[in-house]
Amino acid sequence: MPKIQIKNVNKTYEDPDGNPVDAIDIINLDIEDGEFVSIVGPSGCGKSTLVEIVAGLQKQTKGEVFIGDNPVTGPSREIGVVFQDAALFPWKTVKKNILYGMEIARIPESEQEEKLQQYLDLMNLKGFENKYPSQLSGGMRQRAGIARALIMNPKVTLMDEPFSAVDHLTKCTLQEELVRIHQKEKKTVLFVTHDINEAVFLSDRVILLSPRPSVIQKEYRINAPHPRSRTDDYLVHVASEIVADISRGAITQDSDYII
Amino acid sequence: MKSGKKKEFNYINVLQILTLAALLLYMQIAVSKGIISKVFLASPSDIVKEGIKIITDGTLLPHFLVSVEEILVGYGIAAVAGIGVGILWTLFPKLEEYLNVFCAAIMAIPKVAILPLLVLWFGIGFVSKVVLIFLFSFFTILYSTVTGAKECKASYHKVAMVFEASRVQKVFTVVLPSALPTIFTGLRLAAATAFTGVVFSEMQSAKAGVGYLLSEAQGLLNTPRVFFLIILITIMSVLFVKFISLIEYSVCHKWRKL
Repeated sequence: MPKIQIKNVNKTYEDPDGNPVDAIDIINLDIEDGEFVSIVGPSGCGKSTLVEIVAGLQKQTKGEVFIGDNPVTGPSREIGVVFQDAALFPWKTVKKNILYGMEIARIPESEQEEKLQQYLDLMNLKGFENKYPSQLSGGMRQRAGIARALIMNPKVTLMDEPFSAVDHLTKCTLQEELVRIHQKEKKTVLFVTHDINEAVFLSDRVILLSPRPSVIQKEYRINAPHPRSRTDDYLVHVASEIVADISRGAITQDSDYII
Repeated sequence: MKSGKKKEFNYINVLQILTLAALLLYMQIAVSKGIISKVFLASPSDIVKEGIKIITDGTLLPHFLVSVEEILVGYGIAAVAGIGVGILWTLFPKLEEYLNVFCAAIMAIPKVAILPLLVLWFGIGFVSKVVLIFLFSFFTILYSTVTGAKECKASYHKVAMVFEASRVQKVFTVVLPSALPTIFTGLRLAAATAFTGVVFSEMQSAKAGVGYLLSEAQGLLNTPRVFFLIILITIMSVLFVKFISLIEYSVCHKWRKL
């Protein structure tokens, strides 16, 4: 039984004039337990919309999403979300930010403290727990953002372009750490990115969405064991194949309004 | 100057000090030589003398305390009520929808125009002053709280939602902390206007207070005292606003660069 099931999901907005606009045409996707799946696609293709639907933050127009056996009806602590800009609260210390979910869930402080140490270790945040987000680098902030989601031990983790705001070298380090954590915890991850190389480096499977209204244009299974090398011929080949497919999709779609 | 740098010699500062000194000197000479009548202008030495006199002979203190008490009580109630009602509006948007039109209408009245009515209802003593100060400050604080709450980032709302925060939890753990800077801006604005309110109402109808003393001094043509009181009121007002800034600093300085 798949861990995440996206069944016939369609999302239609109303534009300011009241006309319906299709963001997501129709998407069917099954993600297995422990699988790491990335969604890539041209900007504005509805990647983030899809993730927010799975997170229960937006309501789909049609279709259903299941986490295990349970349909998603709204946000839930079983679905961890890592946001694009980390979205830490600037008025809370790193420690308080990471423990925010536990504070809301009213988990006893002794248990919070124990978990905190574990995740500070895991995300290499030791020594930074009493700093405020404004005192941290972008990479450190996103480590805290990931720790905040993982500490609640969610069944699935959704990540919406988590590394898009950090510099390249930090991004590489964070990607390697993410691989390490995923290998260790074997959690189901749905990862959105516009960085093809990142998707190929991290994932078991990459899903390419077409331009709006989006459908799944193509799927790529990445059959390479971790740890992977970024310069591995196979990975480079898959990445260039995806890039070629994206530009093909863009040409057929854009031809309407280019001229 | 908070910077660790050694302050450089600045000729603009020197020029400013010289200008001020020249102005004071001119006031001193013009008044003592009788070029300008003592009714219209006071010499700096007379202002200082008058100040020392009303401080040492005990004239000032009771009036000063009356004004301070009116300000602290009126502004204090306005701050608690403004933030409190702001929180209620944030928790229950229907309440805002219902009450907003009334608040906007009362807010639109120039507050000084209500003073005659307040005097009729509450007399010329303490209560009418407190009510006027309250009216002067309450709306600014209320609307800054509500505006700050509405400006809370969408991503913060989403974080609260994914952890299944209840509405009350969301308002107290996310919306209000994120609104703090805007709330403090409102508190500081209101502090300055509260001072205008108290001085004005004491000048119009009162038997005590710094504003009362000011209008009495004017009636007695005691111009040095008028000058001294204007300076005193200005300093009090500035200190009060500084006091609010100090509270803001102690609450927010750790995470905001103030």
